[in-house]
Amino acid sequence: MNVQVSALQSLSMDAASVTRLLDPDIRAALELFPFPPINADTLPIMRPALAAPGPELSDRVVRSVVHAPGAAGSPDVALHVHRPAGATGALPCLVWMHGGGLVMGVAGMDDARFDVWCTRHNMMAVSVEHRLAPETPFPGPVDDCYASLQYVVDHAEELGVDAGRIGVGGNSAGAGLAAALALMARDRRGPHVSSQLLIYPMIDDRQMTESSSWDVPIWPASSNTFGWTSYLGHAKGTDGVSPYAAPARATDLSGLPPTIIVVGGLDGFVDEDIDYARRLNNAGVPVEFHLYAGAPHGYDVMVPNSAPAVQLDLDVGRWLDRHYGTAK
Amino acid sequence: MDADTVSRLLDGDIRTMLAEVPFTPINRDTLEETRVNRYSQVTVELSDRVIRSTITVPGPEGSPDVALRVHRPADAVGVLPCIVWMHGGGLVLGNEEQDDPRFDRWCVRHNMMAVSVGYRLAPETPFPGPIEDCYAGLRHVTDHGGELGVDVDRVGIGGASAGGGLAAALAILARDRGGPAIASQLLIYPMIDDRQVTESSSWDVPIWPPSSNTFGWTSYLGDAKGTERVSSYAAAARAEDLSGLPPAIIVVGALDGFADENIDYARRLNHAGVPVEFHLYPGAPHGFDALLPRSAVARRAKADIGRWLDHHYGTHP
Repeated sequence: MNVQVSALQSLSMDAASVTRLLDPDIRAALELFPFPPINADTLPIMRPALAAPGPELSDRVVRSVVHAPGAAGSPDVALHVHRPAGATGALPCLVWMHGGGLVMGVAGMDDARFDVWCTRHNMMAVSVEHRLAPETPFPGPVDDCYASLQYVVDHAEELGVDAGRIGVGGNSAGAGLAAALALMARDRRGPHVSSQLLIYPMIDDRQMTESSSWDVPIWPASSNTFGWTSYLGHAKGTDGVSPYAAPARATDLSGLPPTIIVVGGLDGFVDEDIDYARRLNNAGVPVEFHLYAGAPHGYDVMVPNSAPAVQLDLDVGRWLDRHYGTAK
Repeated sequence: MDADTVSRLLDGDIRTMLAEVPFTPINRDTLEETRVNRYSQVTVELSDRVIRSTITVPGPEGSPDVALRVHRPADAVGVLPCIVWMHGGGLVLGNEEQDDPRFDRWCVRHNMMAVSVGYRLAPETPFPGPIEDCYAGLRHVTDHGGELGVDVDRVGIGGASAGGGLAAALAILARDRGGPAIASQLLIYPMIDDRQVTESSSWDVPIWPPSSNTFGWTSYLGDAKGTERVSSYAAAARAEDLSGLPPAIIVVGALDGFADENIDYARRLNHAGVPVEFHLYPGAPHGFDALLPRSAVARRAKADIGRWLDHHYGTHP
C-alpha cells in the first residue's frame, strides 16, 4: 500500500475543489482572516504575530518558566511549566512542542490550551522553547526537545511530575518533533515516554504524497517547502535525512509508545499522517487515528467552534482522559 | 501479527470476553450451525418507541422478492430521513432482523427511519444476486418514499462488515447507474477487498480471521476471487474511480483484518474529493462494538457514529 501518485490524480485537488470541500464555518473564517504563505519575506512579519499574547488566562493553572541545560555546546532551553492550582502530589505530564513549521511559534502560544487541559485532565504540561530554523537547523531544535524531556524526567520530583507518566505531544511541526522525540528516546534507551499525541504532524520532508501537492490553505506546499528547507538545507528530500528530522523516514516503528494521530482531510499532511498511523498499527503500536472531513491544517486553533474542531477536541479529550486523567 | 501479539494488544475487557466465549471460524462445516445458533433469534428485548414491520418488495429482474425490515419512531409525524441498511455476516450469514436493537436506539435518538435489507446470502446466491437485492431495496425506498414516510432527499446507506462492503458497493453502483441519489454512507469496518493482500488481512485476529474471510469471499465470488475479473460492485476496494460518491464515515478497530483496506479506502475517498471521516480504535478487533457494547472502546466508536448520525440524519426532536 505505497502511496501512489498518478498524473490523473494530481489534477484533482485545486484551490477551488478545496474551497468547495471546506467546512462552511472554516471557509468563512478563512475568507475573513487569510493566512499568508510563509517564506523569507513573510517570516519576519509572522513571527511576532504568532508570539503576540493570547487570550486572558484563568487562575486555575499556575504557570512558571524553568531552564533546562541544552545539549552539549548549546544554550539552555526555557520550559513553560503548567500545573493545576491547588494540585497536590505528583501528576502525569505532557512534554509539548509548539507548532509553526519549524520556523516560527513560541512556547507560550499554547497557554490557553493548557489552561483547559491541565484542569480538565488533572495533568501538568511543559511547553518547550526549542530553537527555530533557519537560524538553528536540524538537529538543534530536536536536541532542545530531547534535553527538555530528559530534564523533566530527571527533575520530576521537584516539578511535581509522576516520572512514570510522562508523554510527548505537539501540533504540526511540534507533533513532528514529538514523533522524533519518541524515536530518539526509544533508540537511545532514554526516558520512558508513556504516550504520544500527534495533532496533524509534519513528518515527511520529501513532499511526495498526493496530498502534499494540494493547493490547501494555512500551510500550502510552498510553506512546507520553506519550513523543511529551513530545517534541513540542501539535505531536504535526499537519502541522508534522519528519521529524527522526518519521522516518516523511520523504517522501524516497533516499540514506540501508544499514539493518537488526528488530521483534517484537507491538510497537506493527511497522506503522510494516514501512512504513519497505518505503519504504527502494523508495527504493533496501539494507535488511534481520526480523520475529519472538511478540515484544513491548523483549523482547530483558527476556528475552535467549527464542527470538526469540536469533534477533534472531544476525541483528543477522551484520549487525554485515558492517558493522563480526568478532573478531580 | 501472530495470535499472541494480537492478544497482547487487545482491549483488556474484550480479551477476557473472547477467552470465555471463543468464536468459531466460519467454513463449510460450521456455516449451517452458525446460521442457526448465532443469527436465528433476537435475544434483546425491544422497546415500543419504534414501530417495526417487514414488507416484501419486488426483487431484481427474474429474482424473488426482497424482504425489507422497516423501522420508524412510534411518535414521528411527516417524512423522515432514512438509512438503508445492510446487515453483517461475511456475505454468508445474518438476516434483516439482527439489527433491530440498533434501530431501536438510532431511530429514536436521531428521529430517523431505517430499512434493513433481507438480501440473499452466498454461497447459495453468489454475486451479483445479493448486491442487486440491495439495489432493489434502495430503489423501492426512494420510489415509494411517500407511502413509507421517508424524505427521499435524505436517504443514506450503511452497514457493518459484509454489510458495510455491500453499502460501499451500492454507493458505486447507484453512482454508475445514475441513481438513486444517496445522501451519505456509513461504513462500519466494511469488508471491501477480496484480494487479501494487505498486511492486516493476514493477521491472526479473532472473530473474523483470514480463513473466515477467504470462505466468505469464495462463497460470494467462486473461482473469480482474487482475479482481475472481480467487479467493484462486488469488492469496492477494486474501484479505480471514487469521485462523486456520497459523504462517508468509516470506523474500524486497529486489530481488525480489514484495518488496512479500510484505511486505504478512506485515503482514496479523500483523494477523490469525497468528504470522509475516519476513525481507528486501538485494541479493537472486528465486530468489537457488537461483541462488548459496554467496553470503553465500543462507547467511543458509538459516540463517533452517533455524532455523524446527528449531523447526517438528525437529533431527537
